[in-house]
Amino acid sequence: MGTANDLLAKPGVIAVGEYAYRGDRFSYRGALTEEYARMASIMCRATTMGANMEGAMFEALRSGSGLHPPRGWVVHGPAHTVCVIANMFCLLDNTKASINDIVGFMRKELANVTPDMI
Amino acid sequence: MTKLDELMKLPGAMAAFEFRGSGELLEQRIAYPDRIDESILDLLAHMCAANMSIATMQARGWEKVTTMKGFYPVQEFTLIGFDWSVVVSGLHREQYKQAGKFSLPPFMGVVMANDKADYEAAFAILEKQEPVQ
Amino acid sequence: MSMIRRLLALDGVNVVCHFRDDGYLIEGYGLMSRNDMGRLAQFARDYRRMIQGNADQLAMFTNMRGWTPPRGWVVRGVTQSVCGVANLVCVVDSDGAPLNEILLELREVSHW
Repeated sequence: MGTANDLLAKPGVIAVGEYAYRGDRFSYRGALTEEYARMASIMCRATTMGANMEGAMFEALRSGSGLHPPRGWVVHGPAHTVCVIANMFCLLDNTKASINDIVGFMRKELANVTPDMI
Repeated sequence: MTKLDELMKLPGAMAAFEFRGSGELLEQRIAYPDRIDESILDLLAHMCAANMSIATMQARGWEKVTTMKGFYPVQEFTLIGFDWSVVVSGLHREQYKQAGKFSLPPFMGVVMANDKADYEAAFAILEKQEPVQ
Repeated sequence: MSMIRRLLALDGVNVVCHFRDDGYLIEGYGLMSRNDMGRLAQFARDYRRMIQGNADQLAMFTNMRGWTPPRGWVVRGVTQSVCGVANLVCVVDSDGAPLNEILLELREVSHW
């Protein structure tokens, strides 16, 4: 979990977790309870599955559209943000975190994670 | 300058668009018609409408069962694709809801190339308050 | 005769496909090209997993029993509808097809 530790050291990062694409395994670090992390993993897995399906549909419509395969997604709320790249999620405090920095770092660090297991 | 034109000035902006909550594309600006066209944007808008709805359901549920707040209403949903990202927002609609209006403005979105994408700048434009009409 | 082929005998059923867990088409029958059946199988597999994910979240947020695991799904279009149960997917006429019977049959065949 080297990437997770690096992320946790960044300003505004509340928690970082990893979820299995299949099954319900997960791991996490940071200020979340075990139960919250389990729920976050279920939600992130579901959205990632949906995004992947959408990417595949785009590919079927127009090959090489630039969206497929999706690398991740971000939900930006009024006070918190969830960033997901590959099978890693990161919960942010909007007042302290830089989303550009976090997304850039995760994209670089997780560039070689293949979506084969999805 | 309209918000769509403003979004098109973002680094790496490839397209900006407006769509209904049900997904129909209403208006668009396209920078590279050979790489992204109206039919792609139409599907993208439907996809973004679905994702906004799911993210809103998640934010709602999460805030209901945890003590953590600050996710609802979802301000933006961003899909980071292989080469492109799309950021969409319906935040402007919240102002209209709070003002008791039944007719809501459209959702807005921007497609950006990943290598130049400035997500924070996109959020700032989409979150800029405009007077309720 | 293939077990799933008998689904085609029901009124209004136009296509029926059986797919693997990874979305690969095992067998398909009806009025559709093999290529499109492959796409339908992939879509049905993805859609099934998405529905499963959303049902899991609904159960998690509401603590309500009875939603998971989802048994199937139906998307009803103007003239055509698609229904999925387990690793089976059917395209049926929206008008006139006995949907209840089709869903029951899909459920039964999916257990074989």
